Amino acid sequence: MFEYSDKELLTLFRDEERKNFAFNLIVRKYQQKLYWHIRKMVIKHDDADDILQNTFIKVWKGLDGFREDSKLYTWLYRIATNESLTFLKQQKTKYLLPIADYENQLKETLESDIDFNGDEIQLKLQKAILELPEKQRIVFNMKYFDEIKYEDMSKILDTSVGALKASFHHAVKKIEKYFNEN
Amino acid sequence: MDEFLNKLEELKGNKTNPFKVPDGYFDSLPSRIQERISSNQKEHSIFSRFLLIVKPQLALAFAFVVFAFITVTTIEYVLDKQPKIPVSTGIYTRIIEVDASEYSEQHFIDVLLDEEKKPNEKKKSTEHYINYLIDEDIDYTTLIDEL
Repeated sequence: MFEYSDKELLTLFRDEERKNFAFNLIVRKYQQKLYWHIRKMVIKHDDADDILQNTFIKVWKGLDGFREDSKLYTWLYRIATNESLTFLKQQKTKYLLPIADYENQLKETLESDIDFNGDEIQLKLQKAILELPEKQRIVFNMKYFDEIKYEDMSKILDTSVGALKASFHHAVKKIEKYFNEN
Repeated sequence: MDEFLNKLEELKGNKTNPFKVPDGYFDSLPSRIQERISSNQKEHSIFSRFLLIVKPQLALAFAFVVFAFITVTTIEYVLDKQPKIPVSTGIYTRIIEVDASEYSEQHFIDVLLDEEKKPNEKKKSTEHYINYLIDEDIDYTTLIDEL
């Protein structure tokens, strides 16, 4: 199937008559990447679905003002990341849970989730990732699973490349430690 | 750590994504998002129409509130600014004296008039009784007997 470039999609979106069509193409192009990015953060499918829909609604509202100073996909990732972090913060304050308790709940969800079909090592890796602080978790997922360049990641997370490299390094060390201890 | 990274890379090569989604999820997602956007726009347009209708009334009410506020504030300000003449204790005493004397004079006249009225009435009724007794030819002894 022919895929439009981001620039073409934005030009289409600015044409009032083809706005809906262009937006539909943007959703189709990025829905999977954004979904998996969100899902690895919040673990549950229903939560990821809600966050993804909210992300695209924000994209719809903000796309008219998007000035192409950054790439479309870094902008989309940025919105999705912020939505996920806001959601996690709300969950913790909603149930007045300490961070560790909420991460434990997510681990239990992983074990009982019918939508998780990884093997034992995959499960262990996901549990180890859940042990990481949120920022390190995002950096690790983006680098390891999504293979996003540090330069793009820097624009998405508004963090320097050096800090991101350090975060990834610490994340890998913690995951290694978890693997050795469990 | 490099060894562990290689291990992770191998792991990734075997199976990248351990999560699943419900069947057909990504096929239906774009239309569900479009639906949500359309319903949001509808809600927004209903609200906009409501605002359009209510706007003149709201503006009028707001203007009235602002006008009332300005008026009250101005009056309070003007009253506050008016010079206040200091009244000494001596002036207060004088005011009380004058008022008291005026009151006493009037009161005194009223009382005198009332007092003047009362004896006349008494006199009139006594004369009336005497005339009656004379007309009816009732003497003192008969009156005593009757009583």
